[in-house]
Amino acid sequence: MENPNPKSLMAAFHFQRALSLVHRTASKSSRAVRGRRIQCAAYASMAYSAGPRRAWSRALLRRLRRAARRRQPRAGWRRRAAAGAGAASRVATGAAGLRRLVPGGGGMDYCSLLEETADYIKCLSVQVKLMQSIADSASLCGQL
Amino acid sequence: MEAERSPGVGSGNSGTYTAEIAESLRFEEEIQSLIHPSFDASPATGGSFTALLGLPANQAVELLHEPGPGEPPASAAASSPVWQIRPGEQGAAPIRLPLGCCSSTFPSNAALVDRAVRFPVFAAEESPASSSGGGGPPLRLKVESPDSDSPPSLSIPSEKPQQRSAKRKEAGKSKTKGTTKKSKSTEKNNAVPKAEAEDINGGDKLPYVHVRARRGQATDSHSLAERARREKINARMKLLQELVPGCNKITGTALVLDEIINHVQSLQRQVEFLSMRLAAVNPRIDFGALDSFLPAECGPLQAANGRTGVALDPAPWSSSDAASAAGGVRRLPPQQFWHVDLVCPQQTSASWERDPHVLLNSGISLFGYDPANSGNSVPVNSNQLKTEL
Repeated sequence: MENPNPKSLMAAFHFQRALSLVHRTASKSSRAVRGRRIQCAAYASMAYSAGPRRAWSRALLRRLRRAARRRQPRAGWRRRAAAGAGAASRVATGAAGLRRLVPGGGGMDYCSLLEETADYIKCLSVQVKLMQSIADSASLCGQL
Repeated sequence: MEAERSPGVGSGNSGTYTAEIAESLRFEEEIQSLIHPSFDASPATGGSFTALLGLPANQAVELLHEPGPGEPPASAAASSPVWQIRPGEQGAAPIRLPLGCCSSTFPSNAALVDRAVRFPVFAAEESPASSSGGGGPPLRLKVESPDSDSPPSLSIPSEKPQQRSAKRKEAGKSKTKGTTKKSKSTEKNNAVPKAEAEDINGGDKLPYVHVRARRGQATDSHSLAERARREKINARMKLLQELVPGCNKITGTALVLDEIINHVQSLQRQVEFLSMRLAAVNPRIDFGALDSFLPAECGPLQAANGRTGVALDPAPWSSSDAASAAGGVRRLPPQQFWHVDLVCPQQTSASWERDPHVLLNSGISLFGYDPANSGNSVPVNSNQLKTEL
């Protein structure tokens, strides 16, 4: 995977660091708990590498920080993750649906919403590619 | 046949002078018919002749009848192309163009002003297509002395409305959108249909957005703003369509939006499944796999990073991070991040930099950070935690 972009380099670095942390500390927990933490780590590193200039990255980090402080991340995360990954019928269509999906989408006008969506999609796809490559290389190493 | 012209008039008439030049093309035949075939004198300067050409035919004839200095045309012919006189045409008495007497014998400016006023209509009729070229070459006409040369510029009629609209635009820049002026110019220059999209893109920097109204559309300031906003939205939609695969063929905004929503949902689902998979696979994370990402230019960044140390900007901050990432994860001193956090006093960047570390380190529920493992970075971290929480 060729990612000479410094932003994606940073994302890769932070994510891997967080990943190693999670595995080191939560190896005794269940797989689901670890998976949730890894998911948070993914979003956190993605938002961090996107920079403070993006509204969605700020909103995402704010949300994660609030969840970390409240120490009840599971409830909030389950709800949000379910909304993202669950039934599409629940999520509205059109601009309202987009606002729900993109972090921080509720507070913008339509024009900025489209712009933030574009950046969000870009960073999401980079993150997915990164995780895919890590999973592939890890599984490859595991097979050897 | 070209009309060589060098205006011999004072500088104040330069704007109106071009009107005469344009009209010269029209009245060329008329004037020629007035010229006696035996007339052998070429105009000493094209400017003086064309000055006369701007006049109504009868006035020009009167002027031409004046006994001029009658200098030999040879000197003039050497400097400027000759106004070809077609022999055989019926005409008046032999005409000698007065040389260098343009200023003295120049008719009242009222005639020229009339020409100038009527000019836009004239120009619109004559060359609608060329004027729609949009910002043609700037007017090359200059006020020069009668003796000097000037390049003939036949495309003046097409340039003129551009110049005028450009002048109007500059005058209108200080006003709010100048809609009234623009509406008038759009009525006259009805051949300029394009909306200037570059004004919209550049309008983010300017306080006012300058948009050219299309033909048949309202020039109200509200509708102009709406149109600018709509075009912005359309541009962003196009970007999104390019990002989302398979969206190019879909027509209709609602369907495209649905497709975008589906794509975002699928990406988020992928993140979740991959995170589950990564939880299952215990990673011996091969940081060597990261090295394949590194471009060659990240190396020198590391040296620069060591020198500068503190990043006061998000941009060098990110590059310094990339450099440290490039340096190899094992070698990376975590203190570097803390150092940047502490020294950089700026609000946004400091709070930004603190965030991931808070996320990574604060939530026992979240990441299960073990303070014992981080070594000497712990006290620094706890300070930040206190300020953060």
